[in-house]
Amino acid sequence: MKRMSRRAIVQALIALPALSLFRNRPVVAEPDEIVEINGWILRRSDLA
Amino acid sequence: MIFDSYEAYKQAGFKPKACILGSGPAGTTIARKLGAAGIPVVVLEAGSREFSDESQDFYRGKTVGDFYFDLDITRLRFMGGSSNHWAGWCRVLDKQDFEPKAWAPDTGWPISRADIEPYLAEVHDILELPDFRPDVPVSDDIRWVQLIKSPAVRFGEKFADELDQSKNIAVVLNTYATELIGDGKRVTGAKLWSNGQEAGTLSADYFVTCTGGLENSRLLLWSNQRSNGGVVPNATALGRYWMEHPTFEGGNAILANYSEFEVDGSNEAFFSPTLAAMERLQIMNFGIRLIESPYPNVKKLIADLACTAPNMAEWMSSQLDQKLRCAAQLYVAWEQAPLASNQIELSKADVDHAGVPRIELHWKKSPLERRTLLEGLRLFGTTMAQKNLGRVRIDDWISNGADYPTNEETAGHHHMGGTRMGTDVLKSVVDANCKVHGMDNLYVGGSSVFCTSGQCNPTTTITALACRLGEHLGKVIAV
Repeated sequence: MKRMSRRAIVQALIALPALSLFRNRPVVAEPDEIVEINGWILRRSDLA
Repeated sequence: MIFDSYEAYKQAGFKPKACILGSGPAGTTIARKLGAAGIPVVVLEAGSREFSDESQDFYRGKTVGDFYFDLDITRLRFMGGSSNHWAGWCRVLDKQDFEPKAWAPDTGWPISRADIEPYLAEVHDILELPDFRPDVPVSDDIRWVQLIKSPAVRFGEKFADELDQSKNIAVVLNTYATELIGDGKRVTGAKLWSNGQEAGTLSADYFVTCTGGLENSRLLLWSNQRSNGGVVPNATALGRYWMEHPTFEGGNAILANYSEFEVDGSNEAFFSPTLAAMERLQIMNFGIRLIESPYPNVKKLIADLACTAPNMAEWMSSQLDQKLRCAAQLYVAWEQAPLASNQIELSKADVDHAGVPRIELHWKKSPLERRTLLEGLRLFGTTMAQKNLGRVRIDDWISNGADYPTNEETAGHHHMGGTRMGTDVLKSVVDANCKVHGMDNLYVGGSSVFCTSGQCNPTTTITALACRLGEHLGKVIAV
């Protein structure tokens, strides 16, 4: 297996926080989305 | 003509062309068709005109696998057969029920719904039905379907006078065909047991077994064993692919407006999936029965909803103040996937009074059906919520994957399969005309020929298939 260069490792580490920004972006809840909670099949807006 | 014993029948000197075993919906319908065509036919009924414990005892048997009803309770052995305890619910199998489904092995019939549709007008007369309304799509996934609660025709009572007055039909009561005798090409006779003793052998040109969805398999298995394969030459599928309609309470619903769906006299409405939804979810057909709940149950349900969806519960409470009755129990009945392992066998340990082995029924519900139950309820609940027609709560035992309860309806007393229709002799017993593969003169009537069960009660389809078989046989015999 080819060894990663130190430069490539540093670049990957720098990129990580940027990636996490995308990952942690809050999901916009769809009010009409169907959810199942405690056996109930509901619209998300029912949970307000 | 109706005779109380085989002895009395013999003295009348009647010469039948065809012998029908059993006087339930299939047997009586086929006999009436043949009689109307001028063909002399004898109908052997193992029981008498009335229920008796002595007759029922012949139906005792054993079930191995899932919990099921006692086999002498789930069917009736007297004139009119199991129509005597039928609830009268009617619907014909859907077009989609006849079609093969890639996700469920061994589905698909060799005939289509169009093959039985020409007989439905006749069926409506026999069962005293109004016309069915077309299904109403509620969403792309769910149809609002009609299931007619008919007057529940008791075939023995309704047609007793007609049969008695017929010159072409002889009904012989208290006469049990214990065994058919066959040579691998033809059935040559039926060994009889009448009024508690052996009664000799009856001959006819054609034989039709209409003894019920359990008993047809038992009779043919035993006959085949005694005739060394001379009655069902291709017996690989004999007794196999037996099916029921498992039925359980599946949850509750709160409806925005109960009058949204026109309910029947019992305040019930029925829903089924579309073929596209079944295909997408890879599930079997099912029927959801929505029954109006007693008022205290509504309050309890809303209290439960308040813990999860307070706004919705508050809105429902305000509706209640307006005295709306808007909650329902949900019952689910579903189509069983046809499995060769669900089968009727002959007991090796127990025989009836005539020496015929009793039934050992091997029956288990499959994982596919468990998925059908859960996904079916989710599908219905999703449609209700998306269309804002109401909200559904699935019972915990279903969501949690717990065992099936043993204190509920369990099943519909619908006995299907065992002598299924098909073209592959390894997976079926009769052909598209209900003739036993390889035999020239042996036919089968009733729900034992069903390839798949659909979700609806079988009597309407049984009667339609019997009209079709009666007409076919009339033509064959007339040649």
